[in-house]
Amino acid sequence: MNNNELSYMSMVEQAKLIKKKEISPVDLVKLCLDRIEQWDGVLRAWITVCSEHALEQAKKAETEIAKGNYRGPLHGIPYGVKDQIMTKNAPTTMASIIEKDFGTGIDATCIEKLNAAGAILLGKNNLHEFGKGSSVAFHFGEPKNPWNLKYEPSHSSTGSGIATAAGMVSGALGEDTGGSIRGPAWANGIVGIRPTFGRVSRYGGIMYAWSQDTIGPMTRTVEDNALMMEVIAGHDPKDPLSSKRPVPEYSKLLTEDLKGIRLGLVREMSIGRELHPEVDKSLHDALDVLRSLGATIQEVSLSKAKYAVALQMLTSDVDVSSMFVKHWLRDRWDEFDYGTRTRLAAAALVPGSIYSRAMRGRALVRNEVLETFKTYDGLISLMNFVPPLLLDDSRETIHSDQDVGTRMFKSRRICTYPFSIANVPALSVPTGFTKEDVPMSIQIAGKPFNEEMVYRIAHAYQMATTWHTRHPDLGKTVGPALAKSELKFAGE
Amino acid sequence: MKMTEDDIRNMSRAINLDIPNSDLNTIAIRLSAILSVMEEVEKDLGLEMDEVDPIPPVYPHEEF
Repeated sequence: MNNNELSYMSMVEQAKLIKKKEISPVDLVKLCLDRIEQWDGVLRAWITVCSEHALEQAKKAETEIAKGNYRGPLHGIPYGVKDQIMTKNAPTTMASIIEKDFGTGIDATCIEKLNAAGAILLGKNNLHEFGKGSSVAFHFGEPKNPWNLKYEPSHSSTGSGIATAAGMVSGALGEDTGGSIRGPAWANGIVGIRPTFGRVSRYGGIMYAWSQDTIGPMTRTVEDNALMMEVIAGHDPKDPLSSKRPVPEYSKLLTEDLKGIRLGLVREMSIGRELHPEVDKSLHDALDVLRSLGATIQEVSLSKAKYAVALQMLTSDVDVSSMFVKHWLRDRWDEFDYGTRTRLAAAALVPGSIYSRAMRGRALVRNEVLETFKTYDGLISLMNFVPPLLLDDSRETIHSDQDVGTRMFKSRRICTYPFSIANVPALSVPTGFTKEDVPMSIQIAGKPFNEEMVYRIAHAYQMATTWHTRHPDLGKTVGPALAKSELKFAGE
Repeated sequence: MKMTEDDIRNMSRAINLDIPNSDLNTIAIRLSAILSVMEEVEKDLGLEMDEVDPIPPVYPHEEF
């Protein structure tokens, strides 16, 4: 086994080697830090790397394991976290230059839980400014897709997706309001879940979209994702909207067949649209695999889903903007990115009467989604009607009405926002690669608090395919750009 | 609903936000876009919307 193989190994496989003392957490952390050092000048997946602290924790884990105090499968496993979630040992920048640290000197509950399980925090991942997913310029360097630098790595929890895909870390945490976990999982060829709202404590995250923001894992396999989820999920008295439902051991409930499972294929978010031919083929191949595993698949219509993007911008964006107008937009306008500030300002001007009506519309979209779960165990859709876009085409530069359809109501949002405003669990799992070697994915959604079913469907699919065993060859994709990466950014 | 730069400038006074002229066009386009969709939503779902409460789906003890 060489270093590259170890870097791309699943968390579960790494954990087995750590438990058997065939590899040390120190070796694994050093390997990750070396990869960050080698490639992040181009990929820009990190804002802060806590090398010293991570190595201290790795030595501590090594000692504990040597003494027989093995805490479980996350013991000694390195992870990253979107720099929107507070950590004691590193500032929380939100990828903004307005404050050096938006944190309050605490660990978020999800960080406390991962640390208690023995996982090792490597640092804070780059993101779109304030997690809004609309950045045009990046204060800490523009994140790049490790599969092909010409293409977008998607929006918001971008660094968490890149770092995991590039083997800089075993897994990472992201935050998803409208698709900020699932999007970067899709574009970077990994697995990302938006959990049911209330499944994971929001405490310690900067979560201004209070009725929609969720924290979830981003990993190279479904099984790894389930493992991280069962650690971070659960009630937290510090988050009054977290659920008291018991947390299943998701990773132990995975199966490799789907006999008796009824799936609904959402027409408006898949075959009812004009699809890029490679996406179309990838979707139909994935459906064939799901059928071969025993699932039945029927078309289902979510006719109200087409309104989800605007309804989110008329509701959750308004909640977010109310915080920014009060604290920063009035007197620090020029320090915001153009994409972020114009999106926030538009939301800030939505009349209250419209906001309230949009909340009613949102309830109808949710009701329609929930109704389908009386018939189906899970819903299938695309993550996007097209593969990841060229970087220039993905930026949210809006100068004319023509930009609205392509850059604002973009097709990735059409696919992810309906499940976001319904607050149901939804997961992105890779289903192939284009000729340009950029990933494509499907999305699997379940009824509230049924992450177990979502994981079961995704895991069975993954076990029947090999997409998760492909990894970017960074020497080829990133290597040629390394010499040109001398630019310095605000975070350096 | 087509919003103009003047509309944006005037509306922003209500929240004491001074928006530079260079950004007014983008904000007008963004706000026009979402308000226009809301007009469609009202036409399509308005009567149904009258019959539901605008409760955010965040209550952690719902049964499913």
